[in-house]
Amino acid sequence: MLNLISFQSSALGALGQLSLLAALAFTLGGTWLAAVGGLKADTRATEAARRAIWAVFALVSLGTLTLMVALLRDDFTVRYVAEHSMRASPTWVKVTSLWGALEGSILLWAWLLAGFALVLSLTLRRDALRPWALGAMFVSLLFFVGVCASIASPFTPLSQVPADGLGPNPALQNHWMMAVHPVLLYLGFVGLSVPFAYAVAALVTGRLSDHWVVVTRRWTLVAWAFLTAAIVAGGWWSYETLGWGGYWAWDPVENASFIPWLLTTAFLHSIQIQERRGLMRAWNVWLIVLAYASTVLGTFLNRSGIVQSVHAFAGGPVGPVFLGFLAFLLVAGIGLAAWRAPHLRDEADPPAPLSREGAFLAGNWLFLVFAVMVLVGTLFPTLVEAVQGRRDASVGPAFYNAFAIPLGLGLLLLMGVGPLLPWRRADGQSFWRALRPLLLAGLGAGLIAFAFGVRSLGVLGTVALGAYNLVGLGLLTVRAVRERSSGGRGGGFAALVREQPRRYGAYLAHIGLVVIALGIAFSGTYRQDAQTTLNVGAAPVRLLNETLALQGTRQDTKPYGRSAVARVLIDGRPFEARMNTYVQGGETAFPAPAVRYGLLGDTYLVVTAFDEQGKWASVRLIESPLVSWIWWGTLIVVLGAGLTLVTPRRATVRAPALRSAPATD
Amino acid sequence: MTTTPLPRARRRRRSPWPTVLGVLALVGLTATVAFGNLGKSLEYFVTPTEYLQQQAEYQGRPLRIGGLVKAVQYNPQTLDLKFNVTDGGATFPVQYRGAVSDLFKENQGVVVRGEFQGNTFHATELVVKHSEEYHVPKTQAELKDLLQKSESE
Repeated sequence: MLNLISFQSSALGALGQLSLLAALAFTLGGTWLAAVGGLKADTRATEAARRAIWAVFALVSLGTLTLMVALLRDDFTVRYVAEHSMRASPTWVKVTSLWGALEGSILLWAWLLAGFALVLSLTLRRDALRPWALGAMFVSLLFFVGVCASIASPFTPLSQVPADGLGPNPALQNHWMMAVHPVLLYLGFVGLSVPFAYAVAALVTGRLSDHWVVVTRRWTLVAWAFLTAAIVAGGWWSYETLGWGGYWAWDPVENASFIPWLLTTAFLHSIQIQERRGLMRAWNVWLIVLAYASTVLGTFLNRSGIVQSVHAFAGGPVGPVFLGFLAFLLVAGIGLAAWRAPHLRDEADPPAPLSREGAFLAGNWLFLVFAVMVLVGTLFPTLVEAVQGRRDASVGPAFYNAFAIPLGLGLLLLMGVGPLLPWRRADGQSFWRALRPLLLAGLGAGLIAFAFGVRSLGVLGTVALGAYNLVGLGLLTVRAVRERSSGGRGGGFAALVREQPRRYGAYLAHIGLVVIALGIAFSGTYRQDAQTTLNVGAAPVRLLNETLALQGTRQDTKPYGRSAVARVLIDGRPFEARMNTYVQGGETAFPAPAVRYGLLGDTYLVVTAFDEQGKWASVRLIESPLVSWIWWGTLIVVLGAGLTLVTPRRATVRAPALRSAPATD
Repeated sequence: MTTTPLPRARRRRRSPWPTVLGVLALVGLTATVAFGNLGKSLEYFVTPTEYLQQQAEYQGRPLRIGGLVKAVQYNPQTLDLKFNVTDGGATFPVQYRGAVSDLFKENQGVVVRGEFQGNTFHATELVVKHSEEYHVPKTQAELKDLLQKSESE
């Protein structure tokens, strides 16, 4: 039975629950007002709906704040606090406990969604899309605020108040990154609700002219940048705390964040075709509906326990409810699109293969196939279980790598060609002339890598395509700077970037992706891993071209757990690898590896077992090249995405259009 | 309604067949790659009894096997580990090389990943599964549940 509010509730619990219920009431009211505003073209109703969002945001903020205060004050009359926090935790852990378990994470989601809705309500233009975009946003809010206020309320009271809480999830305390990754991920997921809302509004009103696409580009980019950062932050967390020296395991829930990323990346490219050429209108609508639905799918997978995963939370009623919302989104989105799509008339013929839009379209297909394959791999074990009744069949990384590597290389190939091609149609000869230096650079880089002993086809391909991309972008930039100075406009590169931040932001993001691709290719292929046992006072041990000597071990005890620390000298440099045990985790130890980051490779040391007397420790040494390129590359990508959002400065003098093929925009 | 009158539904100026064929080809390709590969890269979770019953099918395939730990022999210096895994019905020896934590004791539930070579299971990984809320004991409960089920069947 739902026990949403009772007289046993503490003051904080009651305040939180009431604020969520009030937020739900305003959400219901706002949905109604938005519908009236849309159907009757009633601007007053629309305006009221807009203001209802402010109330919803204020009330959900109050609820979130209440939970935060309850966590910080150790108020165990609130169920969520009693179940997921405890007195002895450090403050930062108490703060992150807000999203460390199911109810709190949905509350954070609802709060961020309300925040995005607030920004949307402040930036919406007064046009026909307005009531419907608000309405679609309200439908998302209705779901998340509704779930928060009812079945997954963090404020349901307890019959007996414990003296201390059960404490937070041990894995959350093991690294500060857990404070960052979920928030980034939710910002990415939630950010996609806005383009989705615009797409719905465009479909309902039939104003599928290109306004919605222009408006949503920025929203999508912001969401995409958060999503990119979140995925990599999750990888870094995994690298820093799980002690296996890897960052991606094709875990179902990693996949669940990757599918929306693939679809959103596709969308960011295909909306440019619509913006520029008025093509692919129906496609874009479908893509954003699917991208948003895939975020809900991800949450469903995450929260329902239907797939086996590192992230799987408890079952309970939340899974089916998310499935219901997913089904609703898909049915409503597909129904709406199917109803309206036949009316979406493109302005011109489908893209020519040898044109920028042709390259974007081909890239779109690759992204789509990639997303479908990841989805198939993720759901296949569940399907096998449902159909054959066999427990727990799982799909290994080998399956994913079999298509991820060729698809990734294909995307790198298109990424280099895209900026080289003009819109509409390229003339084959000039295209070939522009492509030649890139191919030569790729070939050269591939040969150099081969000469250095690289034999893996995937790595050779990545190196070659990396060089091909970088040379391509470099040549385009150099040519643009030259053209500018020969056109009598000074300022050089900086002025160029100021005038076309979108283009150079995209270039920068592409460079970041090349850096990431190199990091993944090298660290994935040339990772070395060895284990041994070290004895205190024994002669140094030779392992993976390093000498290891155990200096000693010690135990650090804290109220919330203890750490066993091994001090190891690797080639004379001190490493302190830990093994953390938390009071909630029983005897399970969480490794905290000692990592020495390097530009060319990391040295990664994990303690895997300890002697009680402190005489020996078993360690695992991992050396993987270029891992840090993934982190730095992501920073470049995010900076690039940021640059594309900068408002361009108008050129002071409009030079006569010098058409130099094929580097046009 | 604020909806604007829409243009009439698009009349196709060209045959839809190239698109349809393209989509079909991609779907076919995806399916072939997916299902061709999946068969090989599927990894099943079996109990020793299940393995005993269907040895022919599972021999030499990547497997995860779950059961209780018996007869542990571990040398921390060489990192060589030998133990038996049992579900009450059947027992198989397991070999592994790598460090083992204190968690690894007699009668503990364990999931090992690897493959059978003859009657010995060569483990590549001792799976310490993070279950719901990352608590390991829950996994053992699940495992026992699984073991009980297979015993009663």
